[in-house]
Amino acid sequence: MTVKTEYLITTIDAVPSMAKRRKEDGWRFVQLLAVNTEEGIDLIYSFMKDGVLQNNKVEHVAKTDSVPSITDEFLAAFVFENEVHDLFGVDIRNIAIDFGGNFYALAQSEPMTIISPAQKAAREKARQAAIAKAERAKKAAAANAAYVVDHPGAKPAPKSDGVLIKPSADGVEEKLRGIDPEKVARLRAAMAAKARKAAAANADYEETHPTANPVQPKQESNISDELEEKLKGMDPEKAEKVRAAMARKAAKEAAAQNDTAKEGE
Amino acid sequence: MGKATVIPFGPQHPVLPEPLHLDLVVEDEKVIEAIPQIGFVHRGLEKLVETRDYNQFIYVAERICGICAFGHSMGYAETVERLMGVEIPKRAEYLRVIWHELSRIHSHILWMGLAADAFGFESLFMHCWRLRERVLDIFEKTTGGRVIFSVVKVGGVVRDIDEAQFAEIKRVLEGIKHDYNQLCKAFLKDTSVKNRTVGVGYISEEEARALSMVGPFARASNVNNDSRCLGNGGYADLADFQPIMDTQGDCYARVKVRALEVLQSMDIITEMIDKIPDGDIAVPVKGSPVDGAEASNVVEQPRGECYYYARGNGTKYLERMRMRTPTSQNLAGMTKALAGCDLADVNMIVLTIDPCISCTER
Repeated sequence: MTVKTEYLITTIDAVPSMAKRRKEDGWRFVQLLAVNTEEGIDLIYSFMKDGVLQNNKVEHVAKTDSVPSITDEFLAAFVFENEVHDLFGVDIRNIAIDFGGNFYALAQSEPMTIISPAQKAAREKARQAAIAKAERAKKAAAANAAYVVDHPGAKPAPKSDGVLIKPSADGVEEKLRGIDPEKVARLRAAMAAKARKAAAANADYEETHPTANPVQPKQESNISDELEEKLKGMDPEKAEKVRAAMARKAAKEAAAQNDTAKEGE
Repeated sequence: MGKATVIPFGPQHPVLPEPLHLDLVVEDEKVIEAIPQIGFVHRGLEKLVETRDYNQFIYVAERICGICAFGHSMGYAETVERLMGVEIPKRAEYLRVIWHELSRIHSHILWMGLAADAFGFESLFMHCWRLRERVLDIFEKTTGGRVIFSVVKVGGVVRDIDEAQFAEIKRVLEGIKHDYNQLCKAFLKDTSVKNRTVGVGYISEEEARALSMVGPFARASNVNNDSRCLGNGGYADLADFQPIMDTQGDCYARVKVRALEVLQSMDIITEMIDKIPDGDIAVPVKGSPVDGAEASNVVEQPRGECYYYARGNGTKYLERMRMRTPTSQNLAGMTKALAGCDLADVNMIVLTIDPCISCTER
């Protein structure tokens, strides 16, 4: 068992008759609240009887509308009617105890209808993000469609199988030649690290295909066969660490060489 | 018949811990009419929901009031769970009830202390707060906080209570029962106390119904609107819950109802501890409330029924969060109780509705 809630829709003109009927039927007044929406202000009158919580909603009350008070039937509503007037600017007529807009001591009038700059910015940001996302999706779809048109026999985009990415050695070297030497050194180091990772993940594959990686980075050749033998006998985790250290050292040396080459120029 | 004079009462007044202003229209020593005014400390917490997501707002909700902090966090969480269609584990429901009833004990004993202070019985005030301290110690041990617990979250509770702590809670409550009964004797049997409370601020049952009063204020006038009877959450599993009622409708009846409710809360806690099932204490809550979804809920706080309303807008921020607190509902009843009383009884009557202006001015 739990409290049952009902939501009903009513109109401004029907408010006094609704209150009268509830009073006669023995309902208890629970509260009155307002919600600020873009179309206007929603007023919700709640009543309770026999474990049923009934919310009667008056939708989209405009600034020019005047809402009749229900304090003749339920005096307890005077607090909420004054509150709705002060915080939301809803005009409520004939409140039994009317404070005339002085119920709350507020620095701003109708503060609950003001959208703060922070809130405005957050909404604008969310809107922009949504637009940008839609645009990106549109662009990607268009590019995909264009590719399919240009390459009628094209297979769907290949997915990485996680084993090894094998770009042609010549192609990479070709590209590297045109780039700043410092960047090249970094690229090579990164490539070495990637290759090492793949090798560790697929040790068996590496063993059966010793020349599987066509882009054998130069630094890798520093590791002598003797060292390789030793590493194989070691704990795989430790071996990995040693390899990483060696690669770092090699990368550093390559960078240093590049630097000296640059100075030489 | 003397000339009518208006005496301003509050917002700063020795007997009022909170800023409530009353315009008392008096003739000789009789109050003819009392017009309440609040609004001195309005904080705009309902507005804050626009910039705090629904998980963050629970910490704002429990800071609405220092006494009903747990009630507000529980009410907020229950409403958002309704909004999102989340069902929480049974153990979490039971734990919420245990903490909520402990809050009721500490709130009522605190109030009894303030009432004793209001009618000039300072040592009784000190004894009340001494006992309350034991309950605060339970909170500190089980949640880590004494006033703000931050132990409820949307989807359940954050902390569990183990068997050893349950045993200790039972032991502490059993331990303070004797002292508490002694206090009750002073409140309910002492002649000098009864002189200040019996027959003061009378509200009839019809008036209480017409004024839609809530909480112990209404129950003292024989109007049962205890939301615990509706069986929300763990309250559904109570074997036999009968709200404490009285027919006298005066200050004495209100003191009596609260005094007996403390003992009732102790029984509820013991029953819950005996019945609590094993299992999870929370379920993960993902996603955001649907645009335009609405949920409303009522929770019986120490001061009375509190109404919650939430509306979603499709984002993690709520469109609107509303808490209607018991004091704002009881202000009309208070003006009625004050009309016709002696000027010297005003403070006693104001206190017996247990006003919480912080709650009212969210």
